[in-house]
Amino acid sequence: MCGIAGIIYKDKKTHNVGKSLTSMLESLQHRGPDSAGFAIYGGLNLPKNHYQLNIEVKNKPEILEKLKTTLKEESPIYKEKLIKSDEDYDVYRCEIKLNEYSKLKPLIRYLDEIEDIQVINGSHSFEMIKDIGKVKTIAKRYDVPKRIGTHGIGHTRFATESGIDRYHAHPYQSYITPDITVVHNGQITNYWKIRDPLERKGHVFESLNDTECIVHYIADKLHQGYKLEEALEDAVKDLDGPFSLLVGTPNGIGIAKDKLGLRPGVMAENDDIFAIASEEMSLQDVLDTDYVEQIAPGETRSYTI
Amino acid sequence: MQEYIIDAKNMNEKELNRSIKEHAIKYKKLIIKNPQSNHNIAAGLTDEIEIEIDGSAGYFVGTMIDGPKIHIKRNAGWFAGDNMTDGELIIEGTAGDGAGQGIYGGTVVVKGDTGSRTGEIMKGGTVIIGGNSGFMTGLLMMGGRLIILGDVTDDAGESIMRGTIYVLGEVKSLGKNAQIEQSTLEDQKELKNILKKYGFEITDVDYTNFKKITNKSNKNLMW
Repeated sequence: MCGIAGIIYKDKKTHNVGKSLTSMLESLQHRGPDSAGFAIYGGLNLPKNHYQLNIEVKNKPEILEKLKTTLKEESPIYKEKLIKSDEDYDVYRCEIKLNEYSKLKPLIRYLDEIEDIQVINGSHSFEMIKDIGKVKTIAKRYDVPKRIGTHGIGHTRFATESGIDRYHAHPYQSYITPDITVVHNGQITNYWKIRDPLERKGHVFESLNDTECIVHYIADKLHQGYKLEEALEDAVKDLDGPFSLLVGTPNGIGIAKDKLGLRPGVMAENDDIFAIASEEMSLQDVLDTDYVEQIAPGETRSYTI
Repeated sequence: MQEYIIDAKNMNEKELNRSIKEHAIKYKKLIIKNPQSNHNIAAGLTDEIEIEIDGSAGYFVGTMIDGPKIHIKRNAGWFAGDNMTDGELIIEGTAGDGAGQGIYGGTVVVKGDTGSRTGEIMKGGTVIIGGNSGFMTGLLMMGGRLIILGDVTDDAGESIMRGTIYVLGEVKSLGKNAQIEQSTLEDQKELKNILKKYGFEITDVDYTNFKKITNKSNKNLMW
């Protein structure tokens, strides 16, 4: 199954997005017990060219030291935190500075070559939190309800084709253009047809996961100058299979649903909030409204600030 | 006592259904407060009882019921009334995909809009939609009547085998094996009886504007 949720505050100010998304995802916990994740935009406030890295590190002191030494070859470490995840792994979170955005993806690939290290993500305008387990546990571990922002997306995963680990937890991120994330409920059945042209353009895939393919597809469109709504409309035309996909960008969120409407998606809004979720119970956590809209097959909806 | 209030705020769906079944044999009416869009509310209930859901229900509300009259004050998720054999399910707001899916008997009423595949594989009974209905309304319908007061989108009556879909609004396109014609006086009389019963006030002229979608061929569509 999988559960997806997104919220955006229309006043462009920061709110308790972490708390809202935690409630929304807790209501969708029954749709996926394996992992959960959040992309919370607008609250990180990093200086220009600064990036937050989240890195899975085997909990042996020498591995963390090796990681830090390697990182320092590229940038000073401005802030750092080690978050205990499970018996074998920690998540090392740090802030670094690069000369330009194009250096970020090569750095991540370079770090990934170190044994027992896997970079979960690197971002400038949003905070990525994702891990194995239930929403409540992850939210507590990373103090998610205290995270503020203007908008965000989240996911509860029922793993199907790919493994259960931190990297395969959603949201997925693309580095084709900065800070694009996707959460997804479904399967893309023409995966290779979508992936091949993206690879021929030089975009690098790290896995065989269809959500990674979607996020690169959307990021590539946005990089070409498409608006979010246009990228979503093209996704409906180009992607086959059952899906509801939810995109996060530095200034908006948007959903696209497959042509046959085989995966759920509902939305509701008021003067303050625009919210999307797999099920109404998730919307009720952030909005008290009688009117819940069913997103129709092949329909897209988005809101940007 | 005639009525009993169940507060579902801190109940999961199994606890809620257990409470409904336990109290359905003792009371004439149950009121469920704070339903929180829980799934499968009143699943498989066979008691002749009224149930008022004071809020929204999730997926499969009233699935496989035989006898209860359920009234939902807000919305319902996917597959409302799935496979019910008798009883009544009234939804004041909107419903998700597959409202009235596979019903054998009884009545499902949605006052607002519904998602896709409304009344799919229904075999009998009546489904009434006060608003619009989405993609493939009446998919693989095998019996009963499906009444839509608003518009229907693409592929209405896709692969319909038996049964009738009445539509007052626009039909965007028909599915395979579906044909459309004007309703007869007999149809309009039947529609008036059932729609008045559920409080739908439409004019006499409106009744003459109902179209009906039926199957073109009786051949098994799988061959």
